[in-house]
Amino acid sequence: MSVIVNGDTHPLPEPPTLAALLRSLSPSVPFVVARNDEVIPSGGYDACHIDPGDRIDIVHPAAGG
Amino acid sequence: MEGGQHEDWLTVYGQRFSSRLLLGTARYDSPALLADAIRVADPAMLTVSLRRQVSGSKDSGQAFWSLLRETRRPILPNTAGCLTAPEAVNTACLARELFETNLIKLEVIGDDINLQPDPFGLVEAAVELVKRGFHVLPYCTEDWVLCRRLMDAGCEVLMPWAAPIGTGQGPRNPRALRELRERAPQIPLIVDAGIGLPSHACQVMEWGFDGVLLNTAVSRALDPIRMASAFGSAVKAGRNAFLAGPMIVQDMAVPSTPEIGRPFRSASPQSP
Repeated sequence: MSVIVNGDTHPLPEPPTLAALLRSLSPSVPFVVARNDEVIPSGGYDACHIDPGDRIDIVHPAAGG
Repeated sequence: MEGGQHEDWLTVYGQRFSSRLLLGTARYDSPALLADAIRVADPAMLTVSLRRQVSGSKDSGQAFWSLLRETRRPILPNTAGCLTAPEAVNTACLARELFETNLIKLEVIGDDINLQPDPFGLVEAAVELVKRGFHVLPYCTEDWVLCRRLMDAGCEVLMPWAAPIGTGQGPRNPRALRELRERAPQIPLIVDAGIGLPSHACQVMEWGFDGVLLNTAVSRALDPIRMASAFGSAVKAGRNAFLAGPMIVQDMAVPSTPEIGRPFRSASPQSP
């Protein structure tokens, strides 16, 4: 069972929460996360249950015009 | 400052700025060049974007974020690259969470070739974002009906293009831009995209536009720091000229030196 993280397949973590996924990925800060296009506030990672096939986007600041 | 300039603010959703230049942060050869360009241009805001973190990279965006914070400039996140209203709305929500601002430069692109705004998607996204409490600055064309729809949607600032993004062509449709200025005298209008030279920036400011947003014209100059300085001066010069009230263009020559008392006065020159 897996989730899609930034377009790539990633094993579903145990427990299946966003917090567990982020612990395994340790993205550099600052970042913000969306699950299936919905923004998850930083205080909500533990409570955010993720299911197989969910799309997780982890984004960071980038140069822009 | 003379002439009451200290009271001449650019107002964006209630925030006042002494600078009328907004600067993009992309396409600089190095972070140091970007930092120096910001210091020299003294922009009101910096535009930034959001991108996915690259797997395996431990410094994704961290250095850039540190640089932004050190400048202490307000951030204007964009929705660059979004092709639909839902994409733009989702991106704006991510930006608000990350940058802790309601400001959003709304881009919904409708054409891959000239990166022209999609007017239908733009209005759809603006309506939804205003409903969600965003302060929307839409990147739009100079089309009057589109601009009116965006104002109806609740946009308090508009950002019409001068020309397609990154072209540096300068104002392609001066007449329509000036008509937009005349028909929407109260709303802040910031010319965004297509500016290539300081003279372009100066010209739109002389026409009464409230500000200029540019990126590539500075970042891809041979000497970005010098160009940043040139744009800073040009925007100020154009604004001062607008406030000063330019003379009315005459059809016929009018001598600037008084005729009365001119020595050796003879008969008037004959017409050819």
